[in-house]
Amino acid sequence: MEDFKVTLKQQIIDSLNLQGMKPEEIDDNAPLFGEGLGLDSIDSLELMVLLERNYGIKIEDAREGRKVLTSVQSMADYIQQNRKI
Amino acid sequence: MAEKIVVTAVGLISALGHGVAANMQAMRDNRSGLRHPLHLRTVHAAEFVMGEVVHSNEEMASILNLPADHSYSRTALLALLAMQELLVGADMELLRSEPLALINAGTVGGMCTVEDLYPDFIAPGTGDYIKYIDALDCSESTENIAGHFGLKPFMATISTACSSSANAALLGARMIKQGVVKRAICGGCDALSRFTLNGFNSLKNIDRRPCMPFDQDRLGLNLGEGAAYLMLEAESSAIARGANILAEFSGYCNSNDAYHPTAPSPHGDGAYNTMQQAMNMAGLKPSDIGYINAHGTATINNDIAEGAAIKRLFGDAMPYFSSTKPFTGHTLAAAGAIEAIFSITAMQQGIALPNLNFHAPMEELLLVPTTQLVENVSIKHVLSNSFGFGGNNVSLAFSAS
Amino acid sequence: MNRVMYIKAATCISPQHSYDAEMFLAPPVSSDTGRLYVLDQDYRKYISPVAIRRMSRLLKMSITAGMQCLADANVQPDAIITGTGRGSVSDMEHFLHDMIEFKEEALNPTYFIQSTYNSVNGWLALQTKCTSYNQTYVHRGLSLELALLDAQLTLSEVDGTQNVLVGGFDEMTDYYHFVKNKVGYWKQEQINSLELLKHNDTTGTIGGEGSSFFVLSNDNDNDNATTAITAIQTLHKPTVEELQTAVLSLLTKNGLTANDIDVLLSGMNGNSGFKAFNDAMANMLPGSAIAAFKHLCGDFDTATGFGLWLANYMIAKQTLPELAIIKQGTSKAIKHILLFNQTIAGDASLMLLEQSL
Repeated sequence: MEDFKVTLKQQIIDSLNLQGMKPEEIDDNAPLFGEGLGLDSIDSLELMVLLERNYGIKIEDAREGRKVLTSVQSMADYIQQNRKI
Repeated sequence: MAEKIVVTAVGLISALGHGVAANMQAMRDNRSGLRHPLHLRTVHAAEFVMGEVVHSNEEMASILNLPADHSYSRTALLALLAMQELLVGADMELLRSEPLALINAGTVGGMCTVEDLYPDFIAPGTGDYIKYIDALDCSESTENIAGHFGLKPFMATISTACSSSANAALLGARMIKQGVVKRAICGGCDALSRFTLNGFNSLKNIDRRPCMPFDQDRLGLNLGEGAAYLMLEAESSAIARGANILAEFSGYCNSNDAYHPTAPSPHGDGAYNTMQQAMNMAGLKPSDIGYINAHGTATINNDIAEGAAIKRLFGDAMPYFSSTKPFTGHTLAAAGAIEAIFSITAMQQGIALPNLNFHAPMEELLLVPTTQLVENVSIKHVLSNSFGFGGNNVSLAFSAS
Repeated sequence: MNRVMYIKAATCISPQHSYDAEMFLAPPVSSDTGRLYVLDQDYRKYISPVAIRRMSRLLKMSITAGMQCLADANVQPDAIITGTGRGSVSDMEHFLHDMIEFKEEALNPTYFIQSTYNSVNGWLALQTKCTSYNQTYVHRGLSLELALLDAQLTLSEVDGTQNVLVGGFDEMTDYYHFVKNKVGYWKQEQINSLELLKHNDTTGTIGGEGSSFFVLSNDNDNDNATTAITAIQTLHKPTVEELQTAVLSLLTKNGLTANDIDVLLSGMNGNSGFKAFNDAMANMLPGSAIAAFKHLCGDFDTATGFGLWLANYMIAKQTLPELAIIKQGTSKAIKHILLFNQTIAGDASLMLLEQSL
C-alpha cells in the first residue's frame, strides 16, 4: 500500500503537472482541494480521467467523486477496492 | 442620437426544422428536436440525446442544388440553408452594390468533417480529402456563404464560445451605427461534432436526459446544431426601401465575468450587469421586458448564476422567461442568433415560449420559468441572453417596431 | 468616426529578440528547418504557479505579452479584443488525437477548454479584472486586422479617453506544418530563414509563430505614443488591380500621396506566386523604402502583429533596421509607413501608420 501511494502521488503530480513537486511532499491525508494542494474543479475532472485511464474506474456520481478525491489516502483505498485494470 | 437599427430579414435551421415557421410550429406543438443522433457517428450515440438537424449532408446538398463534388462541411451546409431562408425575396443587387458586412460566428468550424479525416490528414500522401484541408477554420463557412450567394461583403468571423453569434449581431449593429456599412448579415453556425460532444462530456456537464433548464434536478446540457442569421440595417434605410421591419434591435451589451475560465460568477453578477446594460442602451426598465429567452443551458453553474441575476434584476416584475434549449439543444455558436430570432418572432406573434422539462424550482432561488406556451400576450420588448466560456456574456434587446 | 488610434505600448513575443524591446532584433535568430519558433520568456512573471501548470505554450506567451503590454502602457484596459487564426491549436490536436486513440472515453477537459478560441481573452479578463467589452476574431490571416478594426469602432463610440488591449497570436505545431505542406504552404528547398526573400523564385514560404499585443488609445494627451494607426483595410483575395485601387483610395482618403509613404513595410513571404502583387506595390510607391519582416518571424495568420510592432519601433527610433531593409528610400525621416500584408491564402491587408509627435 505504501509503495502504491507513492506511485499514485507521482501519477497525480504528472496528471496535474504539479511542477517541481515530489511524492514525499504530499501528505497521505491532507485535503487535495481547497486548503491542501489548492486544486480546483478542473483538477478534480483531470483526476477522474486518471482513475479511468489507469485503473478503469468510472465515477458518474459527482458526490461520490468528491468523497473519493478527498485525499491521496481516500483515492488509494477506493482504487484498491474498485480497480479493473 | 444614433440611428435606430432594425432587423429586416431572418433565416434559421435547427433540430426543429428549416425555417422560422417550422421552428415556431414545433414549439407551439411542444415538439422537442432532441433525440439520439442518426448522422453523428459517436460511441455515445445511445447514451446522449441531441438537437441534431434531421437532414443528412446529402439531403442538404440536394436542397441547395450543390454539385456532387462540393467541398462544404456540414457546418457550411447548415449556414447556407439558414442564409437561403434569409435571402428569400432579398434584393440581391442592393446587397451587392451597397456596403454590406457578413459577420459569422463559429466555435469549431468544420470540425465535424475534420475529425473524420484527421487520420488521413496526419498520414503521408494526399487524396480527395485535401479539399477539406482548411475546413477547420471558422471563417471557411463565412467565405462559403459569400461565395455561394455571389456576395462580396466585408467579412468577419467571431468565436467567443456560446455567445459567438450574439456577438456577431452586436458587431453588425455597431458597424452600421458608425457608418462603416449600410447592412450587416449577422449570425453563426455549428454542426454537431464528436470533438464538442466529448469536450463537454469531459467537463461532465451533459445530461443523459433531455435537459431541464432552471430545474432543481438538472444535470447538464444537451448539444445541438444549427445556423441562424439576421439582416440588420438602419431604420431610415429600411423605411426608404420599403423593407419589412421585424423588430428594432434596441440594445445590446457584451461584458465579461472576469471570474473563472469556464464557470460563471456564482451570484450572476456578470449576467446581471450585461442584461442591465443592454436594457439601459434601449432605454428600458425591468417592467418593460415582456419575455426573456434565457441562456438556460441546464448546467448546474449557468442556471444558478443566470437565475440569480434574473431574480435580482426583475424581482416582482418578473416577465415570461424560458430557455428554448430543451427544444433545440445547445447549438453553441448558432445559439445567440437562433434565440434572437425566437425572441423576435415570439414578440411578433404575441406568445411566450415554454421551458420544457421543468418540474421543481432550484431550491436556492425558487424561480419558476414559463412552462407552457402562453398566447395573446402583448410583448413590446424582449431580451435574449448568451453566455460563454471565458466569461463572455452578451444580452440583446429587441423591441416591437 | 474617429479613426486615429495611438499605440501606447507594443509587446511582441516572436522568434526574434523582440520581447526585450531594447535588444531590438539583435542578434538575429535564424533557422534552417523551414520553421521559426518564438524565444520563450519567463512566463511566471504574470501567471500564477497554479494557473501556469496546465497552460499550453500559446496561452503562456499570449497572456504574458498582453500583461507586459498593459504594464508598459501603465493602464487598465477598457476592452480586450484579439484575433487568432487557430487559437491554441496544440490543445485542439491533443484532444482530437486522444479522442481517437481512447475511443471517446476518459479525455482531459483541460485540452478542450483551452482549445476554445477565446480562452486567452478569458484569462486576460480574469487577470486584469476587466469586466468590459471582450471579443475574439478568428478569420484566418485577417484575424488581427479585424480586432484592430473593432478597436477603432470601440474607441469611436466613447467620449472620454479609453485604452483598448488588442492582440494577435498563433502557434506552429508539427501537425499544422505537416498538413499544410500537403497544400504547398512551405518551401521544399532547405533555406536559411534570413535568406527567405532571396528565394522568391519558388513557391511557398517558411512557417512561424508569435504573440503581439498593443495598447491603443483614442487620445495622446501625454504624448507618450510615437505612432498612430490611421487606417486599416482588409481585402479578400484581391487581384493586383483591386489591390492597386485600394492603396490609391486609402492614400486619397487620408490626404496622402505615394510620395508621403516613407516606408512600405511588406509581409512578402518569398512565394513566387505573389511577385506581381509585390512588384505592383513597389511600382506604386517608387520613392519609398521597402522593408520586410516574414524572414524574421515566419508566416502565420497573425504575422502582421510582428509587422505592426516593428513599424511602431521604426517610427519611435526613426531607424530602419538593417535586418529588415529590402530597398532604401528617398526620405531619411520615417513619418508614414504603409504596412502591407498578404496571407498565404491570398487575402491582404493595408495599415497606415503615422508618426504622432
